[in-house]
Amino acid sequence: MLDVSGDGSAHTCDGITRRDFLQAGTLGAVGFSLAHWNALQAAGALKSEHDSDRAAIMIFNLGAPSQMDTWDMKPNAPREVRGPFKPIATKSSEFQVSEIFPLHAKHADKFSLVRSCYHTGAAVHDTGHQMMQTGRLFAGGVISPHAGCALEFLRGRKTDLPAHVILPEPMGPTGGNMPHGQDAGFLGKAYDPFVLNADPSKENFKVPDLLPPEKIGDARLERRRQLRDIVDDTVDNFEASENAQLMDTNFEAAFRLMTSPQARAAFDLSKEPQKVRDRYGHSRFGQCCLLARRLVEAGVRFVTLNTFITVFNEISWDIHGSRPFTSIEGMRDIVAPMYDQGYTALLEDLDDRGMLDSTLVCNLAEFGRTPKVNPAGGRDHWPQCWTIYFAGGGIQGGRVIGRSDDAGAYPAERPASPSEVVATIYKSLGLELEAELPGPQSRPFPLVDFGTRAIDELF
Amino acid sequence: MSCSKPRRRVGESTGLHLRATPLLSSFAYIVAAFFCSLSFGAEETVTVLPANIDLTGPQAAQRILVQHRVDGNLHGPVDVPPKFTVTTPGVVEIRDGQVVAVGNGETELHVSTPDGVATAQVRVSAVDQPFEWTFRNHVLSVMAKAGCNSGACHGAAAGQGGFRLSLRGYDPKGDFHQITRQTRGRRIVPSDPGRSLLLLKPTQTLPHKGGERFTSDSLEYRVLAQWIAAGTPPPSTTDALITELEIFPKTVILQPGAEQQVIVRAHFSDGHIEDVTPWAKYTATVTGTAQIDGKGKVTIVGHGESAITAWYLSRIATATVTVPFSPDDAPELAEAPARNFIDHLVTEKLRSLRIPSSGPATDHEFLRRAHLDTTGVLPTAAETKGFLDDPAPSRQKRDQLIDALLERPEFVDYWSYKWSDLLLVNSRRLGNAAMWAYYAWIRNRVEANTPWDDFTRQLVTSTGSALENGATNFFVLHQDPREMAETTSVAFLGLSINCAKCHNHPLEKWTNNQYYGMANLFSRVRTKKDEGGGHNMIYTATSGELIQPLTGEPQPPRPLDGMAIDFAETQDRRLHLADWLVDRKNPYFSRAISNRVWANFMGVGLVEKVDDLRVTNPASNEKLLSALADYLADKGFNLKSLMRAILRSNTYQRSSRATKANAADTRYYSRYYSRRLKAEVLLDAFSQVTGVPTQFGDYPKGWRALQLPDSNINSYFLSSFGRPDREQTCECERTAEPSVAQVLHITNGSTLNDKLAAESNHLTKSVDSGKSAEKLVEDAYLRALSRRPSKKEREGIAKIIAAANDKRLALEDLYWSVVSTKEFLFNH
Repeated sequence: MLDVSGDGSAHTCDGITRRDFLQAGTLGAVGFSLAHWNALQAAGALKSEHDSDRAAIMIFNLGAPSQMDTWDMKPNAPREVRGPFKPIATKSSEFQVSEIFPLHAKHADKFSLVRSCYHTGAAVHDTGHQMMQTGRLFAGGVISPHAGCALEFLRGRKTDLPAHVILPEPMGPTGGNMPHGQDAGFLGKAYDPFVLNADPSKENFKVPDLLPPEKIGDARLERRRQLRDIVDDTVDNFEASENAQLMDTNFEAAFRLMTSPQARAAFDLSKEPQKVRDRYGHSRFGQCCLLARRLVEAGVRFVTLNTFITVFNEISWDIHGSRPFTSIEGMRDIVAPMYDQGYTALLEDLDDRGMLDSTLVCNLAEFGRTPKVNPAGGRDHWPQCWTIYFAGGGIQGGRVIGRSDDAGAYPAERPASPSEVVATIYKSLGLELEAELPGPQSRPFPLVDFGTRAIDELF
Repeated sequence: MSCSKPRRRVGESTGLHLRATPLLSSFAYIVAAFFCSLSFGAEETVTVLPANIDLTGPQAAQRILVQHRVDGNLHGPVDVPPKFTVTTPGVVEIRDGQVVAVGNGETELHVSTPDGVATAQVRVSAVDQPFEWTFRNHVLSVMAKAGCNSGACHGAAAGQGGFRLSLRGYDPKGDFHQITRQTRGRRIVPSDPGRSLLLLKPTQTLPHKGGERFTSDSLEYRVLAQWIAAGTPPPSTTDALITELEIFPKTVILQPGAEQQVIVRAHFSDGHIEDVTPWAKYTATVTGTAQIDGKGKVTIVGHGESAITAWYLSRIATATVTVPFSPDDAPELAEAPARNFIDHLVTEKLRSLRIPSSGPATDHEFLRRAHLDTTGVLPTAAETKGFLDDPAPSRQKRDQLIDALLERPEFVDYWSYKWSDLLLVNSRRLGNAAMWAYYAWIRNRVEANTPWDDFTRQLVTSTGSALENGATNFFVLHQDPREMAETTSVAFLGLSINCAKCHNHPLEKWTNNQYYGMANLFSRVRTKKDEGGGHNMIYTATSGELIQPLTGEPQPPRPLDGMAIDFAETQDRRLHLADWLVDRKNPYFSRAISNRVWANFMGVGLVEKVDDLRVTNPASNEKLLSALADYLADKGFNLKSLMRAILRSNTYQRSSRATKANAADTRYYSRYYSRRLKAEVLLDAFSQVTGVPTQFGDYPKGWRALQLPDSNINSYFLSSFGRPDREQTCECERTAEPSVAQVLHITNGSTLNDKLAAESNHLTKSVDSGKSAEKLVEDAYLRALSRRPSKKEREGIAKIIAAANDKRLALEDLYWSVVSTKEFLFNH
């Protein structure tokens, strides 16, 4: 079904219909010109239509969950390794999960674990964020784009909605003072994701700046536009610059977003039955999962959902056990329940709506945690081995790929690097791994480093 | 009249000219006829390239080109195959457009075409000497050309399939070892070269992931096979080293659809010259104008100008192809008036490309533009009125305005901010106290108009306390000698040398040795750290070297292509660097700063990006960049002199309106290129027009964004409009790309709407003034757009305002409408 092997014949544009073309040229993405489209075509980056409509939801577990306490339990290891929790049976015959995820257990047939993820960068959150979302560690001034931004660059947007949305807001400080890899990097700001910057679980939740201030009613909006047309009309084509045209496109896109009932509705959670909202849970994470589903349904190609925004002043997966970080109990009592509920609701909902095969859901983190519990009763940073998991998007569920050693300390089988993880996302989305992006100094940059393969066993 | 340079004027002749050439190989005279028929008055001949052919060795051959020459400019190749004759037989033969050595000696080679004749001098030697392919110069060239040692294949840092080569062969010794010794020598079979993996793989006789690179009947195969058969002679210290790379034709004027073969010659240290056209790697810088294939054949696809670069053995040669735009008769091409040297050189370039220029900007356009580009603030309504109503001649009042702007306090704000971007003034990395010290150091120098060479010297040689001598924070930010070298190169030379950190720069002449020589200049810079306090001390030690990983040895401290200093020298090595940096003879320094200043005013750098000056990325007008650099150096690196010259030029004072014939031009300054206001300038403009300042953190009320010393200040507006984070030295940190979020923010967001709705802002005063609707419209236009409204605008808008019940709200909507237009959001 999926062909990303890169045989010569895939380097064509068969799948581009006239409709796609018009969308790309007019309604399409910001800054996505026809010339650009043609260039992509020539580069063979665009594949045929049937697998190009997949969407992805990237749930990024900022803070980094402990593999031994969640999806890679070591019940036979010594007490200081195995930790306080017990494994429970799941709907998959291949793996157990921690007792703190009872709902995960019920849906284990839908997702597959990769228990051998690792990276070789410094053990600070920020480096892992860069690698897991862009496939590369930022070095030599090269800021690689987030996978969703690369997708937007290569595919453009599908509807009035942006191609790539970040919920609820971009990653904040995690101690390393480095970029987190959640923007378009060298592709330029035109491909930055649309950022929600709001908490959908809040009572008066709305998208900032999406709607005019209430005191400016429709009549004034109309007057503003009328006045603006008079001013704009007088200046006949004074600017031939690409940016001036982009500004026009943006005004169109913004007005479309503001006025598109479809786009406004996509962000309007009040349209969901109370039962559904309850099912996802009334946490920020849960309601973001629900919003992610609505956005994908309305045509957003990529949603990046940050489970947490920072490791400071917020209970998160970062269970050092000491302040200002989180304790193992904090994870058990607060983090795990809301996460378990929101994630499984999303899987179930996508499945019920028949959207699971066309939507990849990947749950990533920047690293794992030390196999041995530290004196504070927590666990510290450990990029040598951790677990991530995938569902939908052509992935077969209920399986385990890769294996860690007896202590969960190192990959024992099929180590999986961040670049392979990002390649896996691209594969599910039907992108050519050999496609090239325009890098810094116009240096062509391959989508993933040469020779990098997806984790093919997942499919 | 000499054989090689027949010169005459068409107008003086009958159009047919007979000419005799002596030919000693036969005792007859061959009569070659040629005639010129092209445009009236043009001087028309043909030229053979290269004009001096030097062939060494039994296999030596040289490709040649026969080109039209009109008025001294090279044009495309002749259409009819030329006839070749030689004065001395037995020296060379002509085969497939190549001059092939057959015997030692010298001869003249005559070329005759219907359009003219030309002569090349040929010298052949060592035909009787044995010839061997060398590993360094031939084997590695074959592998580079076939892509074996490219970054995507075996040249990757980790190699491919266990076979690892240095990128494009920068490390011959290592590559030789890999090829002949590694994996127990299984890649080479000396007794039967054809069974060597080195040949079986690239011909895909054995499965090869990289596919077929060449066939077994190719020259590539022959070079490798013969080298193996010769016993794989290793690279040696006595190998001839490349000294120079030449490309032909160096400049050529072509038409769309034309094809042009280029020829590349390498000169070696033993004096011999080789035609390396098949081995060079080619790129065209503007692929919308010219494209080039792997064999060096250029195809012209559009108008404009493109550089063609050839790479061979880490050397680079560049040629320029010019494809003029419109036909000769464009009326706008008439000599545009020149104010100074800038206009002469811009016009010369525009004429060569046949791009007509736009007319002059109006007074109000110039007023707004000059304010924004020089000081980052809009003229006030009063200033605008004063300037527009001043009856003095336009040039006189514009000159006065330029001089006044250069002395404004806002000038100091603007340029301090700009250099703070360049030098990364950022409290997040430095702490508050050090950030202020760093900013104050920069600001004091902008205020004093310190010459750029002094500025640079003081900065790169700075020592002492980071709080007392703010300049030292440059080194606090960059704690590694490599980083210091890279940042210094980007900031002051516009050169990205980062690539050369791991391997020879593939797009530049910089080698790994030069990189480590440069970095070693900083190896003795030390910091006495003050954890958390920002009170770091920068000093230099008298010993310490930076090891180059490739050799395991330090490189002699040497500023890029400058002179090395002795390892034993204990004086601060940065003094030597500073001498080289600011030396008048260092072209990079004056060109880099001239390009930065030019780009600030003209919107597009002569070299784009301004941080990416390199041989393979030439300026769109090399003469102009050199002239600006010379001018700046002549003026003692006084930046205001350069700014004044730019501001006064007619080039700067052109309209931004494109004409039909110059709409496609984005690089040659046929008009002023409009661009979105920078984040800080736009925010300040919103504040100024509405009369409501923006509050930044704990900074004093009323401070403008451009007065902020630091980038580490929360502002949704500034970050979403592309303020640089000041994390890395690169103009690319700042973006002018409009985004949907920006538009949403202008339309619905709080920044502008709150200013419009604020109590006692300018709108309140306007309503209270009781002015007529038409006066209010005029006032808004003067404040925001620096012009008076047209009659249509004045009346159309006044009608809407007058019809409104609530004048105040109507005025808010008017102001919103004015400042959300492109005319406001853009500098034009």
